[in-house]
Amino acid sequence: MAEHKIMIGIETHVQLNTKSKMFCSDRSEPGDAEPNSNTCPVCLGFPGSKPRINRKAVEYGILIGIALNCRINSNVFFSRKAYFYPDLSKNFQITQYEIPIAEEGYVQMGDDRIGITRVHVEEDPARLIYQNGDITSAESVLIDYNRAGVPLAEIVTEPDFKSPKQVRNFLERLSSVLEYLGVYDPAREMSLRVDANISMDGGERVEIKNITGFESVEKALNYEIVRQSGMRRMAATVQRETRHFNAELKTTSALRKKEYEEDYGYIFDPDLPMVTLSEAHVSSIKAKMPELPEQRAERLSKEYGMDISRACVIVYNGKPMADFFETSVKLYNNPDGISNWIVNYLMKSLNWRGERISNSKVRPNTFVELVEMVDKNEITERYAKELVKSYVDTGTSPRKLAEGEKVVLTEKDIVKIVSDIIVNNKKASDELKAGKKEAMQFLIGEALKQTKRQANPNEIREILTKLIGKST
Amino acid sequence: MITGVKEYIEEVRSGNLNVDDFAHEVVERSKTIQKKYSPFITLVEHPTSGNGRIKGLPISVKDSICTKGIMTTAGSKILDGYVPPFDATSVSNAKRDGGMVIGKTAMDEFGFGTFSTNCAYSIPRNPHDTSRSCGGSSGGAACLTAAADFPHIAIAQSTGGSITAPAAFTGTVGITPTYGRVSRYGLIDYSNSMDKIGTIGKTVYDAALLLSSLSGYDRLDSTSAEIASEDFTAFGSIKGLRVGIPKEYFSEGVDKRVAKEVRSGIERLESLGASCEEVSLPMTDYGIASYYITAISEASTNLARYCGLRYGMQKEITGDFESYFSSIRSTGFGQEAKRRIILGTYARMAGFRDAYYIKALRIRTKIINEFAAMFKKFDVLVAPSMPIIAPTFSEIEKLSPIKAYSMDILTVPPNMAGIPHVSVPIGKVDSMPVGMQIMAAHFKESDAIRVAAAVEGAR
Repeated sequence: MAEHKIMIGIETHVQLNTKSKMFCSDRSEPGDAEPNSNTCPVCLGFPGSKPRINRKAVEYGILIGIALNCRINSNVFFSRKAYFYPDLSKNFQITQYEIPIAEEGYVQMGDDRIGITRVHVEEDPARLIYQNGDITSAESVLIDYNRAGVPLAEIVTEPDFKSPKQVRNFLERLSSVLEYLGVYDPAREMSLRVDANISMDGGERVEIKNITGFESVEKALNYEIVRQSGMRRMAATVQRETRHFNAELKTTSALRKKEYEEDYGYIFDPDLPMVTLSEAHVSSIKAKMPELPEQRAERLSKEYGMDISRACVIVYNGKPMADFFETSVKLYNNPDGISNWIVNYLMKSLNWRGERISNSKVRPNTFVELVEMVDKNEITERYAKELVKSYVDTGTSPRKLAEGEKVVLTEKDIVKIVSDIIVNNKKASDELKAGKKEAMQFLIGEALKQTKRQANPNEIREILTKLIGKST
Repeated sequence: MITGVKEYIEEVRSGNLNVDDFAHEVVERSKTIQKKYSPFITLVEHPTSGNGRIKGLPISVKDSICTKGIMTTAGSKILDGYVPPFDATSVSNAKRDGGMVIGKTAMDEFGFGTFSTNCAYSIPRNPHDTSRSCGGSSGGAACLTAAADFPHIAIAQSTGGSITAPAAFTGTVGITPTYGRVSRYGLIDYSNSMDKIGTIGKTVYDAALLLSSLSGYDRLDSTSAEIASEDFTAFGSIKGLRVGIPKEYFSEGVDKRVAKEVRSGIERLESLGASCEEVSLPMTDYGIASYYITAISEASTNLARYCGLRYGMQKEITGDFESYFSSIRSTGFGQEAKRRIILGTYARMAGFRDAYYIKALRIRTKIINEFAAMFKKFDVLVAPSMPIIAPTFSEIEKLSPIKAYSMDILTVPPNMAGIPHVSVPIGKVDSMPVGMQIMAAHFKESDAIRVAAAVEGAR
């Protein structure tokens, strides 16, 4: 692919995990409540109903703004964004237009700085359920208003991204920041949705709407790059349009042409007063600011003498993982061992099962048994790696699991096995004594066989060297 | 039968009157009135009431205000058959005090009119002369108040003059309180930043009495003021009161005979000890333009929700969403509603928004400031309520929309500023009532009300 100048900007919609909805007192997270049961005249847009601002959601907006290095506005407004769409109960969305909660922030990603244009809060539309197809092909659509009115934070970036991969990294960073702020529940379905705008070589901007999943965002953008450069090769012009990402086919398809900027006819929402965010209020929120992932990674690295990249892997996996690490270290003081086992083995097993630490059966008190057994050579690393899998599967104490298998060899057992091998393989032992390296390989191989690979080659080599040395 | 509100309340309180028998009689009389003047969209067959200080008092509710279990249409076919699942706060406040809801009164569709002729249901006729309009948009409320031969007070609503206009045209008393004084929760929106629920009564006492019940903070309405209600019937003397007479309210467009009646009313105020002085409110001329732009911008978003999906008019669903809601809205809305939706959408579109919508908001701020400055020097401002007497239906037919809108020139400024104002009958021209409006500073309803009571007493 020839060098293209790529500009990508994204809008991220995050469902805030407040107790109630943005403008009424219905529960915000109805779980598996029957469709349309978690509704009231306000979120259904009944005539005469009036919205009320959820102060917690505004506070969450401020927290996000601060975390993304934004300026917090002192007087903010809510506006009506008017367009007809079946998921909007009032055919307008209450959002923020002129003066949002926060503006002009940034996220530093290595050498690149991604500008944050604005952070505002708004209401989520209802959920549309497409019958026998997707948005482009469904025969009919059902509407579930349980989602109507759930608070959303919209985070808009400048078109500063240079690659789809960078967008994905940013989203991973962002979602962990939000999780650390305690404003967002990543386990909730569809809780983070992305609209991505991409233009190449100064051409028209194409918007891909409503993508869920970071991997999908990257794939959708990669597909667009391939599609758009293909068009350029064929001397076709990329048109300004909105596209839909099909997560199964991993392709995008045209939804509608955009001949001009969409006109939403914004007005100030006359049912809602101006919200004043006093300096005192903002600083009281600032004071409540929890430790953010970046700071935590630095702290973990310093406090536990850990490589910063390993600390980042733990921290950006999500708050529960970093909490898990710190609790584990308190129970068994070997940060290096624990972080090693988390990063290299535990995460893989969890990923393989599609679990997050928070909903897995893994617990600090049982997990440290595993590390401790390895440290004390009660089990070999090789066996421990197998043990992690059954531990993640069952949550059973690794110590118990190891007993059950009755394959635990102590160091003493291994020394015994190796010395027996020396006796039983006289020829090879003599050759080793004479300095023949091939003999060492042979003896190690034998030992691995007999220890059922519970001992590792280095360990065996050490024992062999020691024993052979003694006998001379 | 007792016809006065005050006497009725005393009779009920002393146990001389059976509320249920009385209710039955009220229903019968209402039916007769309906045949003659058609003030109702819906009549309640079996009205009921609880206990309270206005126990059993017949209350009518403008049809733009939600009543649980009673059809509420805001005068539009698009809401035909809609029965709200909740009471507006104003209605539940009236019920809490014992008020008995007897029906829903006719109005211009969504409040879009000055004469109650833009009606999808019945057009109320003026009890003083049935060839004439009752005014609007709370025309049904004023019509019933004027015609009722039983004690009754109306819950009405004003955006740009919808209480004052019909009160003036029917010879009744209309109180439009400060914006935020009465909760708007359950009021079907026209222009939310200006909509106010108020009252229309036969007397100042009646209108003030019900206003005391309706007022007060309501957490369900974010624009509701955290100010407790008060007894608005405690009128005081107007001696020493400073009265401003804005000269723009007596300009060329105002019928000279109407102006003359109002001037004689002002003389009465002076004779009662008030000091009157002519003042100028130069922003008055800009009221109509900025009012209509603001009102229709808001209205065009409020009306977007009516698309035949969850309530009101429905049809068999065929085609896609756009063709379905277009079909519902084409048949459901009347001509004036469509006109205001189209104009309102235009006024807030990118490219026009700054020139219209935003500019109108700026002018509104200037109007508010102009009043605020005036109320530093004066307790009340007094002017004609309407520039004309109630027009005949054939005169109204000949009015262009712009001409019709210009009839609101005297009512629009206080409504935009959200200041309380009262329209009280002051005299007659051609046997038709003339109203005087009294405006006061924010939350100084009591000042406007006591001036109205003084005018009424001196009649």
